[in-house]
Amino acid sequence: MIQFRKSDIVVDGVRVQVLEAGPRSGGGKPLVYFHGAGAMRGFDELLPLAEQHRLIVPIHPGFGGSDDDLTINSVLDYVVHYASLFDQLELAEPVDLVGHSLGGWIASLFAVFHGHRVRRLVLACPAGLRVPEHPSTDLFMVPPETLPSYLVEAPAMLAKLSSGEVTVEMRIARYREMTSLARVIWERSYEPKLSRWLKRIAVPTLILWGEQDRVIPVQQARQWADRLASEAQITTFDGVGHLVFIETQGAAKRVESFLNGGG
Amino acid sequence: MSVLDRLQFYLMHFMPYPDVVPDRPQGQWVDIPNTHFDPEKGHQLYKNYIDELVLGDALGYDALVVNEHHSTFYSLMPSCSIIAGALIARTRQAKICVFGTPITLTYPHRLAEEYAMLDVMSGGRLECAFPLGTGMEYWVNPLNPATARERFRESMDVLMQAWTQPGPTRWDGEFYHYKYLNPFPLPYQKPHPKIYIVGSGTEDTVQYAAEKGFGYSQVFTPIAAQLRSFENYRATAARHGHTPDSESIIISAIPYVAESEAKAIEEARDHILFYFRNLLRTGDQMNTPPGYLPVDRLRKRLEAGVFQSSEITWEALTSVYRTVLGTPEQVAERIAFWCEQAQSSKIVVHLHTGDMPHWKAVKNITLFAEEVIPRLRRKLSPKLKAAE
Repeated sequence: MIQFRKSDIVVDGVRVQVLEAGPRSGGGKPLVYFHGAGAMRGFDELLPLAEQHRLIVPIHPGFGGSDDDLTINSVLDYVVHYASLFDQLELAEPVDLVGHSLGGWIASLFAVFHGHRVRRLVLACPAGLRVPEHPSTDLFMVPPETLPSYLVEAPAMLAKLSSGEVTVEMRIARYREMTSLARVIWERSYEPKLSRWLKRIAVPTLILWGEQDRVIPVQQARQWADRLASEAQITTFDGVGHLVFIETQGAAKRVESFLNGGG
Repeated sequence: MSVLDRLQFYLMHFMPYPDVVPDRPQGQWVDIPNTHFDPEKGHQLYKNYIDELVLGDALGYDALVVNEHHSTFYSLMPSCSIIAGALIARTRQAKICVFGTPITLTYPHRLAEEYAMLDVMSGGRLECAFPLGTGMEYWVNPLNPATARERFRESMDVLMQAWTQPGPTRWDGEFYHYKYLNPFPLPYQKPHPKIYIVGSGTEDTVQYAAEKGFGYSQVFTPIAAQLRSFENYRATAARHGHTPDSESIIISAIPYVAESEAKAIEEARDHILFYFRNLLRTGDQMNTPPGYLPVDRLRKRLEAGVFQSSEITWEALTSVYRTVLGTPEQVAERIAFWCEQAQSSKIVVHLHTGDMPHWKAVKNITLFAEEVIPRLRRKLSPKLKAAE
């Protein structure tokens, strides 16, 4: 059973945690995963991707086991952070980049500004696009007790997410992550210029979406695909909500086949 | 010299809209359907409330205080400057206190202009307090709670530069850039009207007020916690070379005066309970948007169980808030005790509370002015004299 190794690195003066896992034989091409706006649950659902790849999950400043960076107050600041982090991890060759939700927004901007560092791009229900006819839910407005029902679709998964005691420490950790999220997206949960900028993305791109996503509607998938310079593939999953990698193993499998050059 | 020798009475009004929407555990804020507002009722309330404050001026209160909240039945004052303008035209003596517009909800130069107008119009009667705004304001204004404290500091720096440095000047900040910072008019009082910072006890706000030499006032937090904040404020101010006097700290109270204690309780108790149970009540999510509280402050609140909402009882309320219902004698004695306890000579009194009808507010404002204030000023209370 593959497991993550945790290590701390200092990027531009801020300590961040990096999870890594890879094939037992060593090696594997790097696959970097930008997570969404919650890093407390861990990312074990991604471990199948580590069977063939050197899987790298850096935790954003202000989330999970990383320190706060109070100089970050825009998604672009995260892009700058990740350019430095890539340098520090000596990721000189283009990498496969996967981003989920907020991480998809960061990944798309990273590909806009640092396209030469990305081999293939996967955007899983990415945030950041303004689609007036299918608007995203403003997560800040969702009461904490009903949040799980927005995140996942399958009843069994919902029961799992909603179970267990909510301790003071958990509430504080969640408040801290929501604070970090608010610093970058409270004013608006989209980047008005993103649709203009996306045409800079020319690398092969896969778009994944849960068909029952209540946070960012699946109808936005086509809008993303239409704006990229490259031909994008779209794969959607029936019976799946916003936490697409947690809800179906099919998501990681689809990523694997796409990165291997499969259609 | 005792703080009682220089007592000043600040008559404050929240101007609530008392026809609350029932069955709302999350309170009367943010997402309260505004279709419940009746403009004719609102018109009458503005008349009554402004009359009550104007009466305060005639009866010799040192100051009239108004403040600001948004999208809530708690307050009919989404712009306290407008009420202040109306009060200036109808009053002669009392200071007019805007306690106040959260500076982050507007452009800082614009607030500098508006407050300067009020100070000049009133011939130098203005005092200003600057709150961060409740958490609820951030849901109904396009403003980020997670960066609000940084924006607040910069906004205050802009306002102070606008008021104290000969204009035009230039400003290059994180949040604002001014090519010509050049407000006109400038305040009547020099260098500027008295400034307070309003807080809820968050340590860095107390520190900020003390470092800058601003006054400090705390709203609706338990008395013991307030007293600790005041100590912290005085110590920090001293370290920064300021010597805060008893006028630098404002305390607040809810008194009701009547012929007997029983009558005071009968006439006022339910209105005060109404205020705490209906108007002040909010939900955890609404009053604590992300980033509004520093994480260590949230930890203290969670550990103290502040967020466990329960029905507010009279006993619980009076043990943590300065509330006194009684005869002039009883009220005067209690207020003297509170001022000495906090070493404050300025006391904000809320004499209209909750859904109190106009006649009771007029009675309370009149009796407090005619029977309580003279007792405190001239120390007519035999018990107080004996205590000297």
